[in-house]
Amino acid sequence: MSNNSSCMTCGSGGLCGGKGLVTLKEGVWTSNPLAIQVLGICSALAVTNKLSNSLVMGAALLFVCVGSNLFVSLLRKHIPHRIRMIVEVAIIATFVILFNEFLKAYYWEMSKQLGPYVGLIITNCIVMGRAEAFALQNPPLVSIVDGVANGIGYGVPLAIIGFLRELFGAGQVALFGWTLELGSWYTPNQLMVLAPGAFFVFGVLIAIFNVLKGDDTEEGN
Amino acid sequence: MNKIRQSIYTICFAIILGLVCATLLTVAAEFTRPRQEENKKAEEIRNILSALKVPFDMETGPAGLIEIFERNVTEQVAGQGEPLTIYAYKPEGSDEVKAVAVRFAGPGLWAPIKGFLALEPDYKTIRGLSFYEQEETPGLGGEIVTQSFRDQFTGKQIADEQGQWGIDIVAGGTDATGVHEIAGITGATITCDKVEEMINVIIEALASKRDAYEQ
Repeated sequence: MSNNSSCMTCGSGGLCGGKGLVTLKEGVWTSNPLAIQVLGICSALAVTNKLSNSLVMGAALLFVCVGSNLFVSLLRKHIPHRIRMIVEVAIIATFVILFNEFLKAYYWEMSKQLGPYVGLIITNCIVMGRAEAFALQNPPLVSIVDGVANGIGYGVPLAIIGFLRELFGAGQVALFGWTLELGSWYTPNQLMVLAPGAFFVFGVLIAIFNVLKGDDTEEGN
Repeated sequence: MNKIRQSIYTICFAIILGLVCATLLTVAAEFTRPRQEENKKAEEIRNILSALKVPFDMETGPAGLIEIFERNVTEQVAGQGEPLTIYAYKPEGSDEVKAVAVRFAGPGLWAPIKGFLALEPDYKTIRGLSFYEQEETPGLGGEIVTQSFRDQFTGKQIADEQGQWGIDIVAGGTDATGVHEIAGITGATITCDKVEEMINVIIEALASKRDAYEQ
């Protein structure tokens, strides 16, 4: 991947140091946190029984990842090395709690459905991993790009899983008052609503991702 | 000397970061508190209303719920000693009590469980049950909030055939044919036992104050 590290939109000397597009592509596609790195799947399996839950969870992770990446990056030259992980967790936790308080105040129903899983983003390995592996070594702007990329890389597969599970588990998908129904010929499959359903959909999704991406990961091993 | 300076820097950094984060969270919590409390109150009222089976639209906002509650439900404290609040459902404009509800609470497996038990005016038949606070294991103990589990309570008695007070949540999968028996959830024995215990505590309290509300 190092051979195409020039940024196509802003050039190598640009705002994002020429790494913007590469970073974006890595987070969303080539090193997708869910489908390729298989990180943070606890929450991915738990909240994906409905499309709306998946989208809010994706938005939460995007917000936290961007916020923590930005602040870890801004402080990267000042964070004492020995306590850097504690500092990262403190920053991540702050953003997670902020999001959770906001949900509880303005989207009570959603907050009730997601239950403990918003709070558990604090321990999500994607957020911690990006702070430790990326934001600590890179300037703020490109760290924001990395946060956005990984937020999308987590949120989009989550939304796909949520869509399929709700469609086949409930026979219909509802979002913002808009519904897609399969019709009366379809008998809703309870399995899709339960946790094992997430494993099946997630497994198939990983397979599709790897086929589309080509097998350069095997070479990497 | 250098090492000490480094340590002091580390400590100062940690203190300042901690203070900044704490201040931010305090401001956010303070700012959202009125709305959060309103939501919590509305959640409680929604649960009393649904246990009592007061007809209302699930989409009603907090202010609307409080209004429906105040128009249909009256609170009364029964008996001496430990006060027991009874929520009585008198449909607007009528004086006839259609149902009564009491609040129950107790420890669950992970965190407190709180809810409402509604009875028919005979104070013996269960009309409905709801939980407004619980953090049981999702998929196992958390299933107590499902409609199918809660609906089992409707029509059951709070005493057995011999008149002994209390309900009995039996093992999941077995036939709960007794007048006071409810089928538990497989894999959630502890949660079911605790729910049974906290409901029986409130049934006992109701029974001991029977003369206070029975003419």
